[in-house]
Amino acid sequence: MTTSEHVATGEASWQGGASPFGISWQKLMMWFFLVTDALLFASFLAAYGFVRLASPEWPIRSHVFSLPFIGLMTFVLITSSATMATAVGAAQRNDLKLARTFVLLTAIGGLFFLGCQAKEWTGLILEGARLTSNPWGVPAFASFFFMITGFHGTHVAIGVTVLLILAARLRKGTSNAAGVELVDLYWHFVDLVWVFIFTCFYLI
Amino acid sequence: MTGLLRYRTYWISWGILLALTVGMLFTETVPLYRSVALGLLITAMLVKAGVISAWFMHLRFERAGLVLSIVGATVLTAVALFGLIVPDAIAALRHAAQ
Repeated sequence: MTTSEHVATGEASWQGGASPFGISWQKLMMWFFLVTDALLFASFLAAYGFVRLASPEWPIRSHVFSLPFIGLMTFVLITSSATMATAVGAAQRNDLKLARTFVLLTAIGGLFFLGCQAKEWTGLILEGARLTSNPWGVPAFASFFFMITGFHGTHVAIGVTVLLILAARLRKGTSNAAGVELVDLYWHFVDLVWVFIFTCFYLI
Repeated sequence: MTGLLRYRTYWISWGILLALTVGMLFTETVPLYRSVALGLLITAMLVKAGVISAWFMHLRFERAGLVLSIVGATVLTAVALFGLIVPDAIAALRHAAQ
């Protein structure tokens, strides 16, 4: 093929070959899913931001939430991200037994987080918080709280389920480092989203 | 990157995330101007998001094309979303105050 033919077909500047991003199609699809999911959470937080900015008053978070308790939840989620990353490292070194141990530790972290969230929800519901009303004045406050943290919690619950399935597959030898890495991406995404929820909802 | 170095990197990232989280909680207890506290919190949030995506999600080791496609698309859309909503919300607040 001549240079002019290369230019005509666009190959002169094309350096990507058969795999332009240099990753497997499974990983690429996971990234696409995460981008769309991130935009969904961004929409929730943007809607929350709109209502928050447009409301003359907003409940003082430290009066509603126990910030040390939220800090503990955040600590657990961050630690579970580190254990998950360690699981990937172990799987890439073909140490599937160690990888399974760290995957299980990550699942335990996720379950602990869900337990903390259940405790937080129960406390607020017992104080009278509902989707349409709450004792702190602004009705949208509780509806945003339950919607955003509930949606995130659902992601954590799905993540824990997938982690347990992955641990079982690693035990049977039917999963490998690529499988661990896919679940790893999802789990860090859950942690990433929590960083934004933690800041926007509990601190700002 | 060797296996042991990678493990160390993960746990250093964990330490950075933990320190930032403690720092963010600490801003609640220190009397700061609202704008200063807001700036600190948003900066810490963005640094945490960067650490997670670069090190834990391995974006630092991926091709630039993938990183730009993923981060660029997400950030641009999110900024556009917030950029459109914030002026509208401020206008609604002013309207309610009148």
